[in-house]
Amino acid sequence: MISYGSDRNIHRIQAVKASMILTMKNFFADPQWIIPSIIAPFIFTLVSLFLFRNVNGPVLMYAVLGGGMMGMWGTTVYGSGSSIMFDRWNGTMEATLSAPSPLIWIVMGRVIFNTLEGMVNAIFILFIGLMWFRVGVSIYEPLQFSIATILTFVSLSSVGLILSSVYVLTRKAGFLENGLEIPVYIATGTMFPIALLPFYVQGFSFMLGPTWGIDAIRISAIQGYSGFSTGYIPDLVIMCLETAIYFFLSFILFTKVESRAKINGTLGEY
Amino acid sequence: MDGLRVLRSSIIFGRRGSIIWDSWEMWILQIFILPLTQMAFFAFLAGSINHSASDVQYVVIGNAIQTMSFSAVFSVANITSQDKWQGTLTGLIVSPANRMALLVGRASFQIVMSTLISAIGLVYAHFLFGVSFSGADFTGVILILVITSVTMMGFGLLISSIGLYLRTAMIMANVFLFISLLVCGVNFPVYYLPSWLRVLSYVIPMTYGVSAMRLAISGSSIPELSGIIFTEIFVGIIVILAAYILMKTFEYLAKKTGRLEQY
Repeated sequence: MISYGSDRNIHRIQAVKASMILTMKNFFADPQWIIPSIIAPFIFTLVSLFLFRNVNGPVLMYAVLGGGMMGMWGTTVYGSGSSIMFDRWNGTMEATLSAPSPLIWIVMGRVIFNTLEGMVNAIFILFIGLMWFRVGVSIYEPLQFSIATILTFVSLSSVGLILSSVYVLTRKAGFLENGLEIPVYIATGTMFPIALLPFYVQGFSFMLGPTWGIDAIRISAIQGYSGFSTGYIPDLVIMCLETAIYFFLSFILFTKVESRAKINGTLGEY
Repeated sequence: MDGLRVLRSSIIFGRRGSIIWDSWEMWILQIFILPLTQMAFFAFLAGSINHSASDVQYVVIGNAIQTMSFSAVFSVANITSQDKWQGTLTGLIVSPANRMALLVGRASFQIVMSTLISAIGLVYAHFLFGVSFSGADFTGVILILVITSVTMMGFGLLISSIGLYLRTAMIMANVFLFISLLVCGVNFPVYYLPSWLRVLSYVIPMTYGVSAMRLAISGSSIPELSGIIFTEIFVGIIVILAAYILMKTFEYLAKKTGRLEQY
């Protein structure tokens, strides 16, 4: 016999799954829309690799991994914003919010697919970097690398979820997604150590889970890499703690934002 | 006379349309935030690799000029797509108005915008990234800003023409918004690129604009810059002519295949 609680969980999982499938179908129906979210990370990585052309293997690997991370970030930032914006454009916003499933589960499905798409984007950037610039593929600790990558993926999804909650309230998703893209590349140290940044920006960097994730990825991928003084395990622990806080915050935000948006009656406005 | 009248009304419409279309936040973003963040990204990157002030300044000046692409390339390229979204493209196409006057007029406001964006980029370059203008030829700096804006607007028109036939020019606009970062000598000299990619560098006016700006800031006078400026103008004219030919071709194809309203 299924209890009410389990039944509710099954419905939530179904909502996430259905939302992922719909996002995937939308993507395959019109895949050109991935280009705006991948082009900046792709070009930024190529430029970085040209700038790194006179340096040796491990540093190139550092840049290629950073490029992959930018690819994942770009898709998360744009995907989260666009998922709500497209609802507004297509006139499906009200219908989505009046569905019995809370909005967070629907958005979670979209965010998970977008982050997966970001991983494919990251692999594409890695592939181009490795082929064009002949960066040697040697992952120092493959298992640790895989764990760090998966956890960073989860952390990115949690950031995407928080961003999406903001986009429900505002018509300015375009402003936010365009304005956030490059600052997050800078703040998370995708291409250069965050030690170079002013101290007040570094505080913001450490509040972003993926900053710790990229450090852990680099520690596991590049032999002799010295990132933060914390090390691989503490990096992952901090990232997981921050990710948990993001998920908690996004649940609170979605509850508040959903009811406020319904009260204001401005959901379809754009 | 008709062409001039169309040009005049398109300039007015383009200015009003641009102001209404974008919110004030988007203007702030486009003029002040995006140039700063892009310049900061590449300045930190160059600094982390070479630790040399001259390398950082090379990158900063290049990016200050390249940021005009947000307006001169991206906004201009999207003109035809915006007409598609708003359902006004068919009305424009069936009108007897001179096409070139129509498009150039609509895009002309972006010349002002792109000049402003790059000028603010140069202000950032001086105050935040330490680029010295002590020996700069300011007449040359302003002249290069304006010429590069006009010629890059032509490049934006080239992409906009393709938007007549495609479902949207947005994708191409995104690609060409950033491609100049790679191929126009913005962050590193063009000779770093493989020879097949360098061909693209020489057909984008930005390549000459960026190079001329670095020379003007380092003290070259207008007569010394005349060679590179004339080359930029020449390439700009070719690009605008190509935009016109492409526009006529794609207009014909779009009418023939009924794709005008497809988006």
